[in-house]
Amino acid sequence: MRRVCEIYKVCLKTVFAQAAAYRANFILSMLITLISNILFPLITILIYQKGASFPEWSFWEVILIQAIYTIASGLAASLFSGVTWATMGHIKEGSYEIILLKPLSPLLFLAATNIQLEGVGVIIGGMVMMAISLANLGGVGIGQWCQFILLFVTGVGVLIGLFLIMAAISFKWVGNSRIPEIFESVKTFGKYPLSIFPKAVQGIVTFLIPVGMVGFFPASALLGRLDLKAFWAMIPCVLFMLFGIWIYKKMIALYEGVGG
Amino acid sequence: MIKRLKHELKVMKAVAFVTYKEWSAYRTHSLVSVFVGPIYFIVQFFIWTAVYGNHGSLAGMELEQTIRYFGAMGLIGYLVMDFADWNLQMLIRTGKFLTFALRPIHHRFFALSQKVGHRILGFFLEFVPCFLIFSYIFKIDMVPRYPVWTIISIILAFFMNFYMNYCLGMLAFWLVQANGIRSVFGLIAQVFSGALIPLVFFPEWVQKCLFFLPFQYTSYVPAMVWTGHYVMGGISLTIPQIVGVQAVAVLIVYGISEVIYRLSMKQFTGVGA
Repeated sequence: MRRVCEIYKVCLKTVFAQAAAYRANFILSMLITLISNILFPLITILIYQKGASFPEWSFWEVILIQAIYTIASGLAASLFSGVTWATMGHIKEGSYEIILLKPLSPLLFLAATNIQLEGVGVIIGGMVMMAISLANLGGVGIGQWCQFILLFVTGVGVLIGLFLIMAAISFKWVGNSRIPEIFESVKTFGKYPLSIFPKAVQGIVTFLIPVGMVGFFPASALLGRLDLKAFWAMIPCVLFMLFGIWIYKKMIALYEGVGG
Repeated sequence: MIKRLKHELKVMKAVAFVTYKEWSAYRTHSLVSVFVGPIYFIVQFFIWTAVYGNHGSLAGMELEQTIRYFGAMGLIGYLVMDFADWNLQMLIRTGKFLTFALRPIHHRFFALSQKVGHRILGFFLEFVPCFLIFSYIFKIDMVPRYPVWTIISIILAFFMNFYMNYCLGMLAFWLVQANGIRSVFGLIAQVFSGALIPLVFFPEWVQKCLFFLPFQYTSYVPAMVWTGHYVMGGISLTIPQIVGVQAVAVLIVYGISEVIYRLSMKQFTGVGA
């Protein structure tokens, strides 16, 4: 474990050094990533400005869901989106065996060497949105914060699971750069209050592909609107992430390199 | 004149056919849309059904029109999708553009012909399946109110999107690496083309500004023509009128692209290609 931490620390230093070397590019990339990730609250703003609303959800409550979704996305993308893109790239180029030859788990190696610092901008943007929402919504108790942290970490786990499943698919579906689009479309359900969707959809995004855990459940915890049954939904989330890790490792066996 | 036109059509047909064949090899790439398109549409359907609630209309649009709008927006996207900017920038950065500068064909025409072939494939693999899913599975009336005007408007949107992206790609003659600008432009275009939300939901002063910018002519106008009713910034035009305005806008952008192209040719060095 200590060795793993050391490797991760060295890789993190390298990522920071890279960002520092191309500062302007890093700042521009960070801003673009931030803007593209905070576009969807614009829809909420415009809807509420026209006097309409999501039933039973105030403007700031919806913004809170979207802020938490943004933070979770930024965090998961910073840590694991690089695994997806690097795996896809290596498989397409036929250079994945270089990863396999390293004296380290391929998943760990790719995660450590492909940290995406641009995601930090998204996390900061999301935190600002969250702070403004909470300032407009009133105080939150310690118990609610504890529930929030538990659910938030689980939500990040779901997104990590999604990144790993995408990467795993690319072992079979070689060179299809549109794989992330499929998962991006499913993630859209997690950006809005689940109560606007029919029960069947709510069930799917809570237990099957649990993207509801990314924004909706943690926000509900902070708002004191959480149904305690929601904690049962953490089980499929953990299983989903474990499935992501398992399928990634399993799919490596399908890799057919011809020398890179 | 007719002989030249016939020749150009022949060239376009040949380039489009080759592009069609080339991209047919990556069919599953296009078929992803058959899953992604309906998912996005379902989300929009539930969002807007919830938002309308008891409201008869919002920003002058009724629920049924809004749902049709998002359906049309998705379908039109498959017909006008374009990445001429990325392609041109890559050719310039790598110096490969030189080979086009030497060919007896204008690169813009070549790129347009490629787009025709690429989007014909998109028509069969993306548009038709999604149209059938929206119409027969989701039971949304996706038949355009004015089919002929809708087809004309989509063709104009096809040209508008292409010329806009081509102008953007030509920035690489000056900047070489224009990825950042392309990303920023892509974001602005996404918001102001009406892809995220109908433009009538924006404040009226923004709508008035957008009327004079090219973005709405790539998506919002054809989608509204499809739904059969155009209004923006308090300006309500009949369908033939707005299609006429769209045609003028396309001609202006075409003119701008020609001016930039001529300036670009003086800028291009192609050293080492």
